[in-house]
Amino acid sequence: MVAGRENGAARKTLLSTVEAPPRALSPAAERLRARFDGSPLGDRVEVRDLDLPTVEVAPDDWPAVARFLRDDPECRYDLFIDLAGVDNAKRPGRPTRFEAVFHLHSVTRDEHVRAKVLLPDGAEPRLPSVVEVWPAANWFEREAYDLFGFDFPGHPNQRRLLCHDAFVGHALRKDYSPGQRWFFAEEDLRMPAWAMDTEEKAGHFETQTISIGPSHPATHGIVHLVARLNGERITRAETQIGYMHRCFEKMSETHTWNQVIPYCDRLNYVSAMINGVGYVRTVEKMLGVEIPDRGRLARTILSEFSRIMDHCVNIGTNLVDIGGLTNFWYLYQPRESIYGLLEACCGARLTVSYVRVGGLAIDVPEDFVARSRALLESIPKFVDDVERLVTRNRIVRNRLGGTGVVSKEQAIAWGFTGPMLRASGVAYDVRRSRPYDFYDRFDWDVAMATDGDNFARYLVRLEEIRQSLKIIRQALDVFPASGPVNSDDWHVVLPPKDAVYHDMESLIFHFKLIMEGIRVPSGERYEWIEGANGELGFYAISEGGAGPYRLKPRPPCFPMMAAFEHMIVGSTVSDAIATLGTLNVIAGELER
Amino acid sequence: MSGVIDVGARVSRKLTLSERLYLPGILQGMAVTMRHFLRNLFAIRRLPTILYPEEKRDYSGRFRGKHILTTRDDGTLKCVACYMCAEACPAECITIVAGEHPKISYEKYPVVFDINMLRCVYCGFCVDACPKDAIWMTRNYELAFFNRKEAIFGIDKLVAKPGLPVKDGVGYRPYYPGDGTRPPGDSSSSPVIPGDGERAKLREKGLDLHHTEGPGPLNAPSPAAKAERDRKAG
Repeated sequence: MVAGRENGAARKTLLSTVEAPPRALSPAAERLRARFDGSPLGDRVEVRDLDLPTVEVAPDDWPAVARFLRDDPECRYDLFIDLAGVDNAKRPGRPTRFEAVFHLHSVTRDEHVRAKVLLPDGAEPRLPSVVEVWPAANWFEREAYDLFGFDFPGHPNQRRLLCHDAFVGHALRKDYSPGQRWFFAEEDLRMPAWAMDTEEKAGHFETQTISIGPSHPATHGIVHLVARLNGERITRAETQIGYMHRCFEKMSETHTWNQVIPYCDRLNYVSAMINGVGYVRTVEKMLGVEIPDRGRLARTILSEFSRIMDHCVNIGTNLVDIGGLTNFWYLYQPRESIYGLLEACCGARLTVSYVRVGGLAIDVPEDFVARSRALLESIPKFVDDVERLVTRNRIVRNRLGGTGVVSKEQAIAWGFTGPMLRASGVAYDVRRSRPYDFYDRFDWDVAMATDGDNFARYLVRLEEIRQSLKIIRQALDVFPASGPVNSDDWHVVLPPKDAVYHDMESLIFHFKLIMEGIRVPSGERYEWIEGANGELGFYAISEGGAGPYRLKPRPPCFPMMAAFEHMIVGSTVSDAIATLGTLNVIAGELER
Repeated sequence: MSGVIDVGARVSRKLTLSERLYLPGILQGMAVTMRHFLRNLFAIRRLPTILYPEEKRDYSGRFRGKHILTTRDDGTLKCVACYMCAEACPAECITIVAGEHPKISYEKYPVVFDINMLRCVYCGFCVDACPKDAIWMTRNYELAFFNRKEAIFGIDKLVAKPGLPVKDGVGYRPYYPGDGTRPPGDSSSSPVIPGDGERAKLREKGLDLHHTEGPGPLNAPSPAAKAERDRKAG
């Protein structure tokens, strides 16, 4: 913490001087610098060393740099992770007002990189689309167009994504007043252009365009799928989302760092604990706060339980969609008891709000270890039952096997992470590739499959439940019987209540924290963990204020939902429903 | 750390003849469901479902439900209208209007203390923020309203009824060390030394702390309070 503070202060003085002295680059950034120097792009990019190696580039050079980043044998950043727009209007010291910040991952080299496209002032923010380089960029660019008004020449379908079609303005620009309301009438709903095309509509009577959703039992949440059918087969499809957009990013800009935590619960609400952990880890890294082992282990244990819960819900609902209701009851029972454990810890089942920056809200209850161990005993029974019912069942095999197939190359191109990517043959798991907390000390396996179909995803998830149980068992073995769960840095963590009531100094710390919030040193950071359905990242920018200047979650299911409309072309409607089930799309996280 | 397992290769994609015949598979599935059915039938008390509303779920003593405002022994609200809970609230659902209390030692009190139960996200931040132990959350989760106005709870609906079962856990409230029931004002056995970690850090930086040196005995009772306590103890 002290180090972080000094760092922030040092940066401020640097800004006020004329020129910052050149800092030595980290080895990864140095390698990138050398690689660019050896190419014709050398003088057109700036390599910086922030928390990640960062490439800064002008919009005109961006497509060439993007191709270089993807194709160069020493780079090979083939997995598109995230695109976050940034409006620097209230952030002095940045060269331009708008920035498009890309995060990329290299599957072969297991590394992240950041690319910033600085959009020159004075003109409309415009940068060439990179959908051809990374197909996953499609929806991310649409989102940036929607929320920041970035123009992407060359984008195949540049329309609003999260905000509705009657919306005026770009919500995440700093000069957009959040109090405005735009009313949406039914006639404002824009269907995809191809769906309205009369020539497409004419023809055989069996060819028709239908809407599945927005409110449809199979969409699990509110998703609108416009599908063009030829008989039972889907020939063209487009997904329209945005029905659950709740301005998470805009709201977090007007709240303090800690106040964002309850909002994080409402991202992936099936495994709310993991979101909170992912978010506070980002803030803690920016602050440089260390959490005691007991707190970290409690987070790990509850996160793994949440992962089990998430997989249970996913497998259960997916099987309900294809007609197997019984498994749903068996899998909801462990979920119920995990909810009981979470409720005993923090007082709520779903919206846990258990983590705080610097630790946990309160210590775990006394019977935490005993209860967790009891759960470890009971959960495998239900999982075994489901396995007995499902895995060798012919109907399930026919419905899930060979449907929704995603090849390894497609999965990478579409930006998949998590069980979806692992079922397609890429063993990328953040807990393994960049171990956080204690994942490198536990003995566990990354579950993967190579078939890439719906059945492979079911198998991967089922195995991950078992691996999570294995992790929890090892974590419970080393769980300290007593000790603090929070950091003792009272610039970050609320002092114990006992002290607040009776000690002036503690009361002052308490007061400052509540009324002013945590002071996070200025800077930016991208931290990522393994969410239940993929890489869950948070890109946070601080300007030293009480809350985030910009906070962008990287929702794991976002690229998967974007790929859905491509995955289902050629399949039947019923297979599309089965495929949608295995994607594990959580609307709260998808649309934030 | 360990390796990677290919679960796809572990499960044979080919089904055996009996599996392909449906019928054995159906019987096998029936066996599993029958086992569950019989177990539930003969242990009906251990069913995971409950007959709500006749039967209520037993939530933990940390449950975050409807708020209450705690009172002093004389029945006045402990709240001193400091606005900390309203400030900490991420949903901005608390409205406070402060007034001057006629009794000089109480100084301030809330004339209005409204919580909009429809805006509230039940995160418990208000409880964490309160420096006076004045707001708790209870295990009451049955909040239903006929209109939005009804959902705004004033002091009359929030004030704690006398005879609150503190020992069993009313709900989410400040966590005290020890048995968890010790209210503020009696912390003579506190294991916490306030400001300890912070002082050490400042000392490392070479800051002079002589004017704040040493926490002293924690909340040592004043001679008058001590005499009063001794008198009560008899």
